[in-house]
Amino acid sequence: MKARHLIGLRRVSQGFFLALFLFLFVQTQFPDDVYLDYSLALTSEQDIRLTYPVGFFFQLDPLVWLTTLLSGHVWITGFFWAIGVILLTLLIGRFFCGFVCPFGTVNHMVGAIRPSLKGKAMVEANQKRASQKVKYFILMTVLVSALLGLNVAGLMDPISLFFRSLALAVFPSVGNAIKDVCDVIAGSDIKPLNLLGYAAEEIASPVFGYGYPSFKTGWVIGTLFLVIVFLNRIRFRFWCRTLCPLGALLAIFSRFSLLRLEKNGKACTDCRKCALTCQGAASPHPDLDWESSECLLCFNCFANCPEDALSFRFRWVSARNRGPDMGRRAVLGGLLAGVSLPLFGRLDGRIHKVSDPGLIRPPGAVEETAFLRLCQRCGLCMKVCPTHVINPTLAEAGMAGLWTPNLIMTLGYCEYTCTLCGSVCPTGAIAAITGKEKVERPIRIGSAYLDRGRCLPWSGNGPCIVCEEHCPTSPKAIYLREQTMPRPGGSMGTVQLPYIDLRRCVGCGICENKCPVKGRPAIRVIAAGETRSVKNQILLDI
Amino acid sequence: MEELITRREALKRGIFVSGAFVLAGAGGWAGGAPRKVWAGETNRGFLIEGIGRKPDFSVQELTQRVFDAAGGMEKFVSKGDVVVVKPNLSWARPPDLAATTNPEVLKAVIRLAKEAGAAKVRIADNTIHNAGRCFAITGAGSVAKETGADLIYPRSSMMRDMKLQGRRLDVWPVFVPVIEADKVINLPVAKVHRLCKLTLGMKNWIGGVGGRRNALHQDIHQTIVDLARFFHPTVTLIDATRIMVRNGPSGGSRSDVAVMNRLILSDQPVAADAAAASLFKITPESVGYMVLAQQQGLGSYDLNALSRKQVTL
Repeated sequence: MKARHLIGLRRVSQGFFLALFLFLFVQTQFPDDVYLDYSLALTSEQDIRLTYPVGFFFQLDPLVWLTTLLSGHVWITGFFWAIGVILLTLLIGRFFCGFVCPFGTVNHMVGAIRPSLKGKAMVEANQKRASQKVKYFILMTVLVSALLGLNVAGLMDPISLFFRSLALAVFPSVGNAIKDVCDVIAGSDIKPLNLLGYAAEEIASPVFGYGYPSFKTGWVIGTLFLVIVFLNRIRFRFWCRTLCPLGALLAIFSRFSLLRLEKNGKACTDCRKCALTCQGAASPHPDLDWESSECLLCFNCFANCPEDALSFRFRWVSARNRGPDMGRRAVLGGLLAGVSLPLFGRLDGRIHKVSDPGLIRPPGAVEETAFLRLCQRCGLCMKVCPTHVINPTLAEAGMAGLWTPNLIMTLGYCEYTCTLCGSVCPTGAIAAITGKEKVERPIRIGSAYLDRGRCLPWSGNGPCIVCEEHCPTSPKAIYLREQTMPRPGGSMGTVQLPYIDLRRCVGCGICENKCPVKGRPAIRVIAAGETRSVKNQILLDI
Repeated sequence: MEELITRREALKRGIFVSGAFVLAGAGGWAGGAPRKVWAGETNRGFLIEGIGRKPDFSVQELTQRVFDAAGGMEKFVSKGDVVVVKPNLSWARPPDLAATTNPEVLKAVIRLAKEAGAAKVRIADNTIHNAGRCFAITGAGSVAKETGADLIYPRSSMMRDMKLQGRRLDVWPVFVPVIEADKVINLPVAKVHRLCKLTLGMKNWIGGVGGRRNALHQDIHQTIVDLARFFHPTVTLIDATRIMVRNGPSGGSRSDVAVMNRLILSDQPVAADAAAASLFKITPESVGYMVLAQQQGLGSYDLNALSRKQVTL
């Protein structure tokens, strides 16, 4: 096959997988055209599910498979895709990085379209460097801490990172900006402009989601993403070469690759055009030893060599490729870091002593220790939630739980029969429960408590009952008692006072969300009482 | 009250409101006698009760009969009209839990409106639960798909500050599609409610506004009257095929539901609510907003003043 055909094939493949990733990404939301057949929907037994397998890229990702296996001892659904990727990597090297990885493609594009460095400076930038060992350090850290029960792979896994950054930062910020503009146009009193505003949102909402999704710490996630993406202007594929733990994992397997870069030193005129566009800094120059572990299979050297001194061939050779240049320090350092992280991660007392009252996990989430072994922090649950109540944590779950899901009831609430988050979770950190199970067991995520000092009727500031009205359980967990209470000024008046029945409350948080007392609502939900925990309970008999 | 009017005047300058709404609101403010809602041959309002007695009666047929008894849908909907149907789709609950309008009734009304020559029929409600889930689970979505009616997703761009000029609500964000229509059909479901006793036709208009709806409870009865005056539908059809007798307004269990097999159609919003209240054995005199509505000239809950008919199937 001619080199330029290979490049064409690579670009088509990269485009296809990036488009597929973005398509599945956009589909990771409540479908607005899925309607239940109401003649069948006699009970809540029919669950709404997404049409497409939105977690596909996580099944394809060997790092997700390996870390959940090491830490959670779970074989995730669809793991055979990941094994397929590893087998293919054994045969042909890091094709995943060069042909499939959507984040790799973005890095590739940002670096290679009108590159910022020229000539010698670029050749110099594409020489192999000691910093490329850092990714092995990160991989080691991730694997060792996974083995010891803390799965932080998702923080650095490219698929998780890309999904999380798009879902929690890029799309919400762009989408909200578009909607703000739509709102201004729709607010016009000129009829055609008015309709244009509606129409624009008609187009924007299916892509960016309904309403104004916002995510706590989204700005941190977004800033990091921008920094990673712009580093490509300094070095091609900075992330892939230097930091990516998935790349490091695949690099180890690519050592035995049968697809090899064959060099003909005699034909070489030392023009160095091979190094000018090398994405992986894999030493394609005939004077150097080709680094199969660093090679991203971009085939640029093959295509750019004017003397045909370079070519990729399948060859069964007794001599193996150069092994991955990990460096002893990177490996030992990774070991140390991998041991330290899970140990330090428990120092906040959240595992052994007491959980944070504000840490409310999604319905169906497994017990906290198991949760930290499985959660990829990918943001799928946060993106799919129809009310966008699920937010990434910063400190609520401790260092070990950075960017894991947490329900913030002032930003949304958990819909009583909705079970979408569990149905998309790629690792089972949130179990795939049914709506019936959620309602009938019931699966509690916390419990509500009243702040009588702020509550309107309790504090004598007027009638309300909004929390009772919205309470979704039947009979309601919030009940009312008529009572005569002093009003401001000393007179007495009869109001209905809310009380909470802890045995019925599931912690859905709609009371907190709809409470008219703004700032800090008069009724709030804490994690205590959550079904997943044996310890974090209030009542004896629950 | 005087103080309110000064504030209203001040706001008038600050907020641009299209003339029609000011006129509509001002007309309402003038108040006094019950207003004529449709141009019929008589000023007397009508009240039609449909009762399904046969065990396997068709809800859609009953809906048709009820409208026929009022002179047919053609009486309310003219050729080329844009018709908005405002069901109660507040909660993401399946239809059998009676938290939302029966999709069979909704379907029948849309079909009748289309047959009467409506150019467009829209279903609009600013739901409480996530709108997508409400539309999917209540059956409204599949009705829209089947009948070709437009299902309007409530969005922030569709909420506009308008002058309601009520006694309590002056300027408030309104869900625009509900009023941008030639004819409005109110299609509530009948449920109990702890604060205002019953949620029927007039209270259904809380789903026609946006903004801080959870604060309306602090003066719920006057708020309901203000909204009912502002929205004044062409006709109200209260779905009492099954009603929620407990745990209202969200319910959640079959045991909260009583099957009634009834529909109540009226051009008089207060009378329609009063007639539905009797299904709960509640007198209109004991419901705050009905009393206020009558006092403030929105209509009368004296059902004997109306031309009444009963249709059974």
